[in-house]
Amino acid sequence: MDKVVSLRWFLGIFTAAFVLFLYGPFIVMGILSFQQGPEGGPQFPIIEWSTYWYQHVFGLAPPSRIAPLPIGEALIRSLTLAFATMVVSTVMGVLTAQAFRQPFRGSGVVFYSVILGMIVPGVLLGLGMVLLANQVGIDRNWWSTAFVLHVVYTYPFAFLVMLAIFNRFDESVEEASLSLGVSPAKTFRKVTFPIIFPGVLSAMLFAFTLSYDEFPRTLFTGGSDVTMPIAIYGTFAVEIHPNLFAFGVLSTLFSFSLLAVYGILLTLSIRRQNQRASGLQEDIT
Amino acid sequence: MMTQFDLELKQITKIYPGGTLAVEAFDLQVEKGEFLSFVGPSGCGKTTTLRMIAGLEDITSGELFIRGVNNTHVKAEQRPTATIFQNYAIFPHMSVKQNIEFGLKVRKLSSAEIKKKSSNIIDLLDLGSVADTRESSLSGGQKQRVALARGLVTEPEILLLDEPLGALDANLRRAIQDELKLLQRQLNITFVFVTHAQSEALGMGDRVVVMNAGRVEQIGASEDIYFNPQTPFVAQFIGKNLLFNGTIQNATGKAGVIDTPNGQFKGRIVGNLAKNKSGIMVVPSEYISFGKTSKKEMNSFTGHVEQASFISNTVIIYLRLANGERVKIETHVEKVAGQELNPGSQINGYWPVNKCSIMLNENKG
Repeated sequence: MDKVVSLRWFLGIFTAAFVLFLYGPFIVMGILSFQQGPEGGPQFPIIEWSTYWYQHVFGLAPPSRIAPLPIGEALIRSLTLAFATMVVSTVMGVLTAQAFRQPFRGSGVVFYSVILGMIVPGVLLGLGMVLLANQVGIDRNWWSTAFVLHVVYTYPFAFLVMLAIFNRFDESVEEASLSLGVSPAKTFRKVTFPIIFPGVLSAMLFAFTLSYDEFPRTLFTGGSDVTMPIAIYGTFAVEIHPNLFAFGVLSTLFSFSLLAVYGILLTLSIRRQNQRASGLQEDIT
Repeated sequence: MMTQFDLELKQITKIYPGGTLAVEAFDLQVEKGEFLSFVGPSGCGKTTTLRMIAGLEDITSGELFIRGVNNTHVKAEQRPTATIFQNYAIFPHMSVKQNIEFGLKVRKLSSAEIKKKSSNIIDLLDLGSVADTRESSLSGGQKQRVALARGLVTEPEILLLDEPLGALDANLRRAIQDELKLLQRQLNITFVFVTHAQSEALGMGDRVVVMNAGRVEQIGASEDIYFNPQTPFVAQFIGKNLLFNGTIQNATGKAGVIDTPNGQFKGRIVGNLAKNKSGIMVVPSEYISFGKTSKKEMNSFTGHVEQASFISNTVIIYLRLANGERVKIETHVEKVAGQELNPGSQINGYWPVNKCSIMLNENKG
């Protein structure tokens, strides 16, 4: 009995510590983003609560010695890059997983060469890309060399998500469609795709978020027009001000709203599946 | 003009990439409007054959004709067949009506025509009340009818059904069997129906194909398959036959004689028999009477009752024969009226020599 009680205490404390370290940094950052400005620094105590740094992020604060965050263009670049990566990786991931539904010669080799993209350390891959680009004589840009590496990195994730989805996909609906005289292409569009859509959504989310905050590959291959993570790194390499925290809070809120949209879409399709499951249950009883 | 069959299989063979022989040299001719059943144990090749007819499985060799047109290498979506799957394969993201209209929309039909055809079939299969709902809210029987409606609305020349009743409970299955048979007569479409249940195959099929290990054992009308099995496999798999192993003594003319450890029996000859070969005597349980007889045209045997159980008007008797072999006899209660059926009691049985058959025991050569 005592053992059970002490185990409970241990697990309770462990969980509390886990939650603390998971959310602690963000909470501290959130609090400090309301520091007084421009004199207040990135540390406690809070001199006075203010929204100065939020205004600073949007360029609404009166000019001071602290330079505005160079995020405007970087943010657009990052979002564009993440979006393009998401589209390309998801399409490739879906198609590759579709190919893997039937056994084919050399499938093992193909599988591991795709997965390699997410296993190889980013720094190595970035460095390798630099060497390759120099050899071939290509300029390094966020939309060329970095984009390719983003796809190499996120494509395996999209592929694995879709592989799992197809793994429990019932093929007979596709066969039913064919047997009704519907072409394979139309069957994919009208039958397969709507059924795997929740999985596609997950693959998209993975690809987008992984690309959006990708650092090591982009650092080497992104060229002079930097993306968001690189831009932020550039500013706090010199000196940190709470404007960074304010921006952090804003971008986290943005991520949350993306997640919320994803959550709503997923809930809708899961609710549909649950209805299907309860329909089955009625059959049994 | 040559007789045109709705469906014709010529030496259809399927060998899987691993080298497994799934179906071997299948020959079959099906006339228009026939209800054909494929029956056999799992892995016998019946579903593979159905899938080859549907175009969902490549044909390794042989030829397939549908209404005289060679369809051997025609793609599934271009064949004039529709398939009903065991799990129904209803499109979960569409309503019942959308499911039914799905196959029509790819054909170049006016929307008025589509509407007419779909509402006709919805009426025919009594799906009006669920037309706007999705698969999730349908019962098993309704799903079955949606799958049927979806296939039939495209007006296939042949409807292929892959164990369509397998997922239903016994009562519903019984009801749908009748419904299906009625529907087939009404529409006069050729049905090919795959099942592992012999009662379903015999009850529904105009003709039955019994398959085992990739080969056709026997093709024939239901009664024929039931009362005149042509191979030991069919004798064991179909019907309630009592089997006696023995050695063939006489195989000349129409009647033969077989020596078994339980006595010498006479019977009709099936196939080419040869003296001293290992053979089997096949007796339909229905023809066995109990008691003593001295008539010449009767075979008789003796055994001891091990157990007898009554299920409504049927009795199942487990007998220990003279040679120690244990057999099961399923018969009508009337047949055993007045017989002592307590465990251990001796019982005599007999059957007419013209109602049983002798065939080669293929396994023993």
